[in-house]
Amino acid sequence: MVLSHIRNFSIVAHIDHGKSTLADRLLGLTGTMDAKKAVDQVLDSMDLERERGITIKAHTVRLLYRARDGREYTLNLIDTPGHVDFSYEVSRALAACEGAILIVDAAQGIEAQTLANFYLASDANLTIVPVINKIDLPASDVQGTRAQITETLDLDGDEALAISAKHGTGVPEVLEAIVHRMPPPEGDPDAPLKALVFDSFYDSYQGVVVHVRLRDGRVRPGTRVLLMSNGRAYDVQQVGVFGPEMRPVEELSAGQVGYLTAAIKRVADAKVGETITEAARPTVTAFPGYRDAKPMVFAGLYPIEDTDYEALRDALEKLRLNDPAFTFEPETSLALGYGFRCGFLGMLHMEIVQERLEREFGLSLIVTAPSVQYRILTTKGEVLDIDNPSKLPTPDRIEQMEEPYVRSSVFVPTEFMTAVYKLAQDKRGEHRSLEYHGKRVHIRFDFPLAEIVVDFYDKLKSISKGYASFDYEFADFRPSDLVKLDILLNGDPVDALSIIVHRDKAYERGKVLVEKLRAVIPRQLFEVAIQAAIGSRVIARETVKAMGKNVTAKCYGGDITRKRKLLERQKEGKKRMKQVGRVEVPQEAFLSVLKS
Amino acid sequence: MAIGELHPVARAGALLADNPPASESLGFYVHVPFCAQRCGYCSFNTAPLEDGAIAPYLAALERELDLLGGLAWAPRVRIATVFFGGGTPSLLAAAELAAVLERLRARFELAPDAEVTVECNPESVTRAKLEGYRAAGVTRLSLGVQSLDDALLLRLGRLHDARGARAAFAAAREAGFANVSVDLMYGLPGLDADGFAGTLEAVLGWEPEHLSAYALTLDAGSRWAAAGVPGLPPEDLVVEQYWRLARAAAARGFEHYEISNYARPGFRARHNLTYWRAAEYLAVGPGACGFVDRLRYTNIRATPRWVETLERGALPVDASEILTPRQRRAERLILGLRTADGVPRAWLEARLAGDPPLGRRVEAWRARGLLGDAGDRVRLSEEGFLLSDALFVELL
Repeated sequence: MVLSHIRNFSIVAHIDHGKSTLADRLLGLTGTMDAKKAVDQVLDSMDLERERGITIKAHTVRLLYRARDGREYTLNLIDTPGHVDFSYEVSRALAACEGAILIVDAAQGIEAQTLANFYLASDANLTIVPVINKIDLPASDVQGTRAQITETLDLDGDEALAISAKHGTGVPEVLEAIVHRMPPPEGDPDAPLKALVFDSFYDSYQGVVVHVRLRDGRVRPGTRVLLMSNGRAYDVQQVGVFGPEMRPVEELSAGQVGYLTAAIKRVADAKVGETITEAARPTVTAFPGYRDAKPMVFAGLYPIEDTDYEALRDALEKLRLNDPAFTFEPETSLALGYGFRCGFLGMLHMEIVQERLEREFGLSLIVTAPSVQYRILTTKGEVLDIDNPSKLPTPDRIEQMEEPYVRSSVFVPTEFMTAVYKLAQDKRGEHRSLEYHGKRVHIRFDFPLAEIVVDFYDKLKSISKGYASFDYEFADFRPSDLVKLDILLNGDPVDALSIIVHRDKAYERGKVLVEKLRAVIPRQLFEVAIQAAIGSRVIARETVKAMGKNVTAKCYGGDITRKRKLLERQKEGKKRMKQVGRVEVPQEAFLSVLKS
Repeated sequence: MAIGELHPVARAGALLADNPPASESLGFYVHVPFCAQRCGYCSFNTAPLEDGAIAPYLAALERELDLLGGLAWAPRVRIATVFFGGGTPSLLAAAELAAVLERLRARFELAPDAEVTVECNPESVTRAKLEGYRAAGVTRLSLGVQSLDDALLLRLGRLHDARGARAAFAAAREAGFANVSVDLMYGLPGLDADGFAGTLEAVLGWEPEHLSAYALTLDAGSRWAAAGVPGLPPEDLVVEQYWRLARAAAARGFEHYEISNYARPGFRARHNLTYWRAAEYLAVGPGACGFVDRLRYTNIRATPRWVETLERGALPVDASEILTPRQRRAERLILGLRTADGVPRAWLEARLAGDPPLGRRVEAWRARGLLGDAGDRVRLSEEGFLLSDALFVELL
C-alpha cells in the first residue's frame, strides 16, 4: 500500500465534548459499518465503559474513505482512553499517529483535558486539526471558541472546523481535513521492522492481540519478532487490521496500523509502549518514552470469605493478563486476614478492577482505604517506599517523610474562583499561576496526591455546578509533616483502617472517621467503642450501643415463611460483613475511610 | 396429566393430596377475617363486617372443610387442637361457630381431649354467647384486652374500654371457662413503664391461666406502618416493659414458655406449641396458612375471591412452597428456640458441625448467658429471647 494514501489519527477531547459521537459519524460516513448500528457508540465496547460513558481502553478501527480528489484513503482511527488515570496510554496511542482531531465543545469551550490532550498531541509532534463541535446547541459560541483556540492553544482558531457530530453537519469536511491537512506516515518498508505497541488485549484463543503501528519494515505470519524491552522472541501467527472487527491480512508494512498475534501469554509481555522488531534483523533504536505504567494509588483487597482467597488470586492473575497497569502482591492484615496489596493508576482504575472482580468473578471483597506511596527516610539512613499505612515505621525510626505531589490544572468560570481557591486550600494546594481566558480562568496548583486522589474531582464539580475541569500529572516527592491515624475497635487497632494524614488534619479526619464508622457498624451483642488515635493518644471516640432488642414478637402459622424469608435476606446482608476480632464490620465501613 | 399442566387451583389440591401429613395428630386453624373496625397496628388479613358477609363465608368454610375432609389421607389423621383466629372470631354467633365445629367433626376425627380456642374481642362477647361456645365444644378463650388504659385503647382503634374488658373476662368465667388467656400489648405510643405495670397488675389480678404480651411491631400492611405513629417509646423503655412483664408474671407463678407467652403450669397453648415445634397443621379460611409434610400453603387472602373459588369446588390455595430439608431443619431450630423448652442440643450441634466460625459466634451467646443448656436440650434465656432474631439469622 502506498503510504501517501494512509492517515493515522486520533480524536482527543475533554470528556463529553463529543468524541464518541464524532467517531460514530466517521464510521457511518465511510460505510465502515451500518449507520444505524453506529447509534451505539461502538468503540466503547466494554460494559463498564458503556455504563460510565468513558473509554477505558484504546480501540482502533480502519476506515476506507474515497476523498473528493477521487482517491481512496485508509484512515486508521486510534481511539484513546478518556480519563486522567490513563494518560500514559493516551501518550502511546498518540505516538502511533501523525495527526489528531482536537474537539472543543462550542458551548463549554476549552477545558482542562482539552489542554492536557493538546499538550500530549503537541509533544508527540502531531498535526492538530481543531474541531468545534455542538454548533447546534443554543448556547454555542463558535466565534468565541475560535478566539479561545487561537489564544489558549496556539492554533489558528479560524481554521477550526465547525460541526455538529450529533446532526452530521460539517462531518464530511472533517474527513477531508484528515486527508489534506494531516501528513501521511513516513517510513521505510525495507528497513528493519520497528513497530510500536499502543494497546493489547488478551484473547483466550489467540493469546495476546497486540495493536501495533509500524514505523519501518514489514511483518507477516511466520516472522520471528523480538520484544525489545524484555528480549523475548515470538513467531508471528497472524497479522490483520480492524474493520472494526479483526480481519487478517497478508502483511503489515511501514506506516500501517493493525494487530499481530504471536502466542504471547500475558499482556504484561507486550506492554503498551513496547518496540517490536525482527529477531534476525533488529532495529537499532527502540521507541523513546517506554515506561512501566506506575501505580499511584494502593489499596488492600480482601475476600470477605477467607475461603475465597485462592479464587481472588486467580481472578487477579486473569485480570492482569489484560491489564498490566495494576499490580498485586500478597499481604496479610491482622484484621482482615489474607489478601493482596494492589496498585492502581488512579481511583477510577481501582473501581474498575474492583467492579470486574465482583461482577465477572462473583467475589465479595473488602477494599481498604486507598493510600498513595510515601517515601520514608529512616534514622538509619534507609529509604522506604510505603504504600500501606500499617507498614509505616514507628515515629522514632523516621527521620523524614515525603509525600507525592502533582501539578494540576483547573479550568473554571471566574464566578467560581473563590470557591475553588477555598477547596484548594482545604486540600493543601499550593497556588502556582492564574491566567484569565475571557470569562474563565486557568489556575495551576500543586497538590499532595493524597488530597486529590479520592473525592477532589467530585467536590470540585459540586462547588462549580459542574463547570470546573481538572487535570493533573505527577510532580515529585516533598517533605511533609505526616502522622499515622489508627482506628481502634474496642481497644484493638484495625490495621486495615489506618491512614496516613497531614498532622494539621489528623483531628478533623479522626473525628469524621469515627462518626462515619458509628453510622455503618451495626449494633452487636456488646457495646463497640470506636476510637481514632495517633500513637497512644486517642483523639476521637464514638460508641455503638449494644443491641437492646431484636426479636419477632409474634410468630404463628402464617408468620413463619415470611419470617424465614426476612431472616434469609438479613443473612445475605451479613455475608457482606467481616469479622474483625469479635466485631462484625460491614464492607462499607472500610470504604467510609475513603470519603471524609 | 403432569402436575405442572393443571390449573393452578387444581394443582394446589393435588399438592395437598400428594403431601399426606407425616404425623397422625394435627392442629387445625380456622381464620375468621371479619372485624367491625381495623386497628391501626394490625397487619392481619381482615375483612370489613358487612351485612350479609358472614353467611357466604360460613357456607364456603363448610365447603373447604368438605374438600379437605375428602382428601384420601383425611381419615387417617386426628385433630388435636383447633384455633379460631382472626379477624374477630367472636363475631360469630354461638350457633354459627357450633355449625363450623360440627362440620369439622363430621369430616375429621377430633380428639376427645382436643383444645379448642376462640379469639374474642371484649365488646363482642356476652355470657350467653360464651356459654354457647362452651356447649359447642370450645375449651379455651383468648381475650384481646391489649390495654386497660381507655385513652390508649381508643388510640389503638379498639372498640372496648377497661370496664368492658373486665366484664368480658368475668363473663368467660361465668360461662364456665377454666382456661382463659389474655392478650396484652406493650411498647405502645405514650405508654410508660408504670402505665404498663398498672395494666399488667390489674390483669394478673384477674388470675387468667395464660397471658400473651406482644411488643408493638409496625408490620408492613398496618396503617401505622404506612402512615407512621407519633410517640413511640425508645427501645430501652420497651425493654424495661419486657422485664417488668417477665418479673410480674414469674411472681404470679407463670412460666415464660415462649418469647411472648406466659402460662400457669399445665396451661400452655397447645395449638400454638404446634407452630413452635414445627409440627403439622391444617388451615381453612381466607389467608390461612397450613403446613403438612414438607408443604406450606397459604389460602387466597381476599375473602370474596376465597368464597368464589370454593363455590367453584376448588381448594382456595393461593401460594405454596415445598420446604427443603435444610429449610425444615432451620425452621425447627429457630421456632424451637422461641420456647423455654428449646431444642435438643444435638440439633444445634448438627447445625454447627463444619462451621467453626458459626460455632464461635454461638459460643459467644453462651458466654453472655443468652443461650444455655437444660439437660440434653439447649434454650435461650429470657435475655436471649430479647435478642433472638440476631441468633436466628446465624442459624438459618
